[in-house]
Amino acid sequence: MKNGTTLLLLAALVLAGAACLTFWEGGSVTATAASLEATDSGAPSAMVIFPVGEKANPAGAGLKPVAFNHLVHEKRVEDCASCHHTGDTVSCTTCHTVSGSADGKFVTLAEAMHSPRIAKRPEGTNTPQSCVSCHAQRLRERDCAGCHAIVKPARDESWCVTCHNVDVTAEQRRQGSEGTLAPEENEALAAKAVEAKKTATPLSPAKGPLKVTIDAISQQYEPNVFAHRRHMSSLMEAIKDDKLAQAFHTRPETLCAACHHNSPMSSTPPACGNCHKPNIDPAHPERPHLKAAYHLQCMGCHAGMNVARPVNTSCVSCHKERAPQR
Amino acid sequence: MNRRKFLTILGTAGVASAMSTARVAEAGGGVHMFPYWENSYGVLHDTTRCIGCRRCEEGCNKVNNLPKPKKPFADLTVCNTRRRTSAYEWTVVNKYSVDGKPVFRKLQCFHCNDPACAAACFAKCFSKNADGSVTYDGTQCVGCRYCMIACPFYMPGFQYDEAFDPLVQKCTFCAPRLKEGKLPGCVEACPMDALTFGRRSDLIKLARARIKDHPDKYLDYIYGEWDAGGTAWMVLGPKASTPPPAGSHGDGEMKALGLDTQIGNRPVAELTYGALGAVPMIVAFWPVLFGGAYAMTKRKEAIHKAEQEAVEKQAKDDVTTALDAAVRKIEETQGQPAADAARKAMTEALKSREALDSCHASSDHGEGK
Amino acid sequence: MHSHAIVIPTRDKLFNMGEFFRMSPGNIITAILLGIGLILTIMRFTMGIGAVSNLSDNQPWGMWIGFDLLCGVCLAAGGYFTTVACYVMGMKHFHSAVRPAVTTAFLGYLFVVIALLYDLGHPLRLPYMFFFPGTTSVLFEVGLCVATYLTVLFVEFSVAPMEWLAQKFPFLLQWRKFINKCTIILTIFGVTLSTLHQSSLGSLYLIAPGKLHPLWYSAFMPMFFFVSSMAAGGSMVIFEGMFAHKGVHHYMDSTHLREADEVVFSFAKAVSLILFGYFLLKLTDMFVQDNMHHLLSGYGAWWLVEMFGFVLLPCLLYAKGSRERNIKLCRFAAANTVIGIVLNRFNVSMIAFNYALPSSERYFPHIMEIFISMFVVTMIVTAYRFIVYHMPVLYEHPDFKDAH
Repeated sequence: MKNGTTLLLLAALVLAGAACLTFWEGGSVTATAASLEATDSGAPSAMVIFPVGEKANPAGAGLKPVAFNHLVHEKRVEDCASCHHTGDTVSCTTCHTVSGSADGKFVTLAEAMHSPRIAKRPEGTNTPQSCVSCHAQRLRERDCAGCHAIVKPARDESWCVTCHNVDVTAEQRRQGSEGTLAPEENEALAAKAVEAKKTATPLSPAKGPLKVTIDAISQQYEPNVFAHRRHMSSLMEAIKDDKLAQAFHTRPETLCAACHHNSPMSSTPPACGNCHKPNIDPAHPERPHLKAAYHLQCMGCHAGMNVARPVNTSCVSCHKERAPQR
Repeated sequence: MNRRKFLTILGTAGVASAMSTARVAEAGGGVHMFPYWENSYGVLHDTTRCIGCRRCEEGCNKVNNLPKPKKPFADLTVCNTRRRTSAYEWTVVNKYSVDGKPVFRKLQCFHCNDPACAAACFAKCFSKNADGSVTYDGTQCVGCRYCMIACPFYMPGFQYDEAFDPLVQKCTFCAPRLKEGKLPGCVEACPMDALTFGRRSDLIKLARARIKDHPDKYLDYIYGEWDAGGTAWMVLGPKASTPPPAGSHGDGEMKALGLDTQIGNRPVAELTYGALGAVPMIVAFWPVLFGGAYAMTKRKEAIHKAEQEAVEKQAKDDVTTALDAAVRKIEETQGQPAADAARKAMTEALKSREALDSCHASSDHGEGK
Repeated sequence: MHSHAIVIPTRDKLFNMGEFFRMSPGNIITAILLGIGLILTIMRFTMGIGAVSNLSDNQPWGMWIGFDLLCGVCLAAGGYFTTVACYVMGMKHFHSAVRPAVTTAFLGYLFVVIALLYDLGHPLRLPYMFFFPGTTSVLFEVGLCVATYLTVLFVEFSVAPMEWLAQKFPFLLQWRKFINKCTIILTIFGVTLSTLHQSSLGSLYLIAPGKLHPLWYSAFMPMFFFVSSMAAGGSMVIFEGMFAHKGVHHYMDSTHLREADEVVFSFAKAVSLILFGYFLLKLTDMFVQDNMHHLLSGYGAWWLVEMFGFVLLPCLLYAKGSRERNIKLCRFAAANTVIGIVLNRFNVSMIAFNYALPSSERYFPHIMEIFISMFVVTMIVTAYRFIVYHMPVLYEHPDFKDAH
């Protein structure tokens, strides 16, 4: 009996808890939406972009819909027309449907979002931008250009899910694709995804070596002593508040991979000489030899970041002339 | 030393296999092609990597034992003046400007697949080799310098200062070094891998891959892939954000690097083949033409002569008939002796006139109309 | 025959060098030029080409090729032009013009080869082209044809020295007899070879489309060179006749003098037609190649000067001169044409060549180069005078009257 009462109590508690949870979850929808900072323009702070299309299950439906953080992007652009290129602040999917529509000049949703290079429109007309082309422009700015001049972001699955990250039910997806999902529910979903997005904490520069002595191939010059930690921290400092970097640098080691490229990401990456041999490998003529690899990496980054000094051709700036040997 | 050994082994294997497998590629469509070696080597010059350090010039100078230049190789200001290759500098690095930024390009013999110099040489000094190099044998050079006229890239230099054994000099692709399995001097010296040595076919793939990976960085044009019929040394150029105004694709950007994209995609020597092909035709046909003209002239002269003779004979006959008639008349009226005298007088008069005529004719000689 | 005291060498007095040692202005200038030339020759062959010329890696062919070779060969075209007119076309009244024309042609070609020795880095290796024949080369064709044609011209010309030397060595008469029988074969052989190498001189530049200005570069350059060489040949006969009448008038016999004017008018008419054809060819080529827009540039103006001032103008002057039988006008037109041809060859080889290079890398001949070219011309004139003073070129030898 005593056990029975306990059991009942427990069951009641569970039920109550479940009910409470359900209620809280349902009630929290609006609560969280309100929790996001409001935009200046009055547009929703975040919204889900569904694959709107005539067909029930259009191509590309395998991916999750995208939560678009309107707030963050709004702060980075000049005016609404930067993205709403027609001047009309309607949703992208109004014209750009999955299979394309006459209104959107048959530019599909996927193209409108991903097209890497868009031909310049004539003077006086607004050249549209896709998410990808706009981000690529950002990568050419000084803070990013150093690494991104030499490293091209891998376009793999983790790249896709950086944006395609909203968990929806089949019903919500159907409604969203038909355009019948209630705006509140849409915003709630988006806000949830935005809140849930985790940013990776980059590895601390202190984890890496303070200095690295590069002496594998030193002949004419003394070995170069590379201030590893100083370079790392200055790169991190430059982008520490950058939302785009935070969004896309999804792993603690992402920044390391700029130099320690092509090998699987790791906090203890293999040395350059593992792949870059002192001489050209006839099997891989495309792979720079070790000396060139160092120079291309250092000078490529410096050129990208407009580092005026040292001058590329000033050898002794980086490695001291070796005293002539007997 | 280790490095050299390593290269020697690798390179020898590579060159040896190239030699053994090299064969004349089947020319498509029956178009004339200079023997073009399928597995030949080449070098890709990526100007976006070049920093203008002149190490390649120094390397070239060293391995080829060329005379030391007046200004040391460490003096990088010489890149600012427009230089060309010469008999004593087989490669030079020049500075160009794209988008206001300096771009360096190394100049040397392009080692054409079908070299104009080789086609132009009338003493067969140049040869295109299986390893891709175009080499020159000075022992039979006459010193006419037609190769220098022919080269569309202004590459060969001549030893004008040499009185007794002046020769044409140009980059050899370090052919002797290739045979030893070593890299060309400049390639070995390049600290930026701006010069990539490899099989030409691989280099084209490599260049395409670079263009594809960095469409904003590279101009979508591999200079030398087709230019002048294809060259062993090829150049990648940077893409300008505002392409210079020019006709077709890539022209302006390449021109900014001093590269001529108007040479065409056929070997320039082919431009002379039409004229050379006409030679046997002229040799065969001209004698017929002029021989015919001569025969016609002769025939005309013969006809003219025959006609002349006929006319003369007729005239003579007429005179004889007239003379006979006159004599007969005299005989009828004055009797035989008078007739005989008259005949004698008239014949003599005719004879003297003929003699006068023939004299005239001989002095008129040459003006015969 | 009224011979106005032509000095005809005899068995005892085979040489007639007195003319060279008179203190006339011509002889003095000749001596000076020959002296300078000798010094420069020594310099050239002991110090290298660079010491006496402005030739460079960008401009490997300059004055010596542009003038001595291109113009020399072209202006020596009188040989084939006259022999064909006389022997093949049967214009017998040109007969007295044949020997002078053949003589100048022979001298022209001989000195082209001599001048070439200055330009070649390895002059002694010139025959290498026969041992290592580069058959893909236009220059090989030129070399082969010039060598063969020089031989043909030598054979054609050899009749004159034979007649001279036969005074002392009568056995040479056999040779003379033999050559006279071969005249027509030699003539046809000569015109074939001339066609080939005159046009090939144009083909030489076909290989450099990027270097030669489009107004001059054309796939039809071989044809232009050949057609213009005919005009040059005819004009040169008139042009050098003019000087011969001034300088060596007293070596001309009455036949020569009588026929000379007729030769001038006939040639004037022919060259007028050829020049007009050449003008149309060049004009058509300019339109076909769509080069109209180039006419507005500096090179375009220069091209127009060449075409109108040195092709169309002499063409019209010739036409007028031959119609009105105005010998002075014809001679003026001949000089005009000759200058025009030289100008054209200079344009192709020097002025419009490397047109795209900055002016600092362009070529202007060194004074010593020009002097060497002048030296060569002086040598031709001197050799011509020697021949005229000794051999029956401008007159018919009394021993061989009417032998042709």
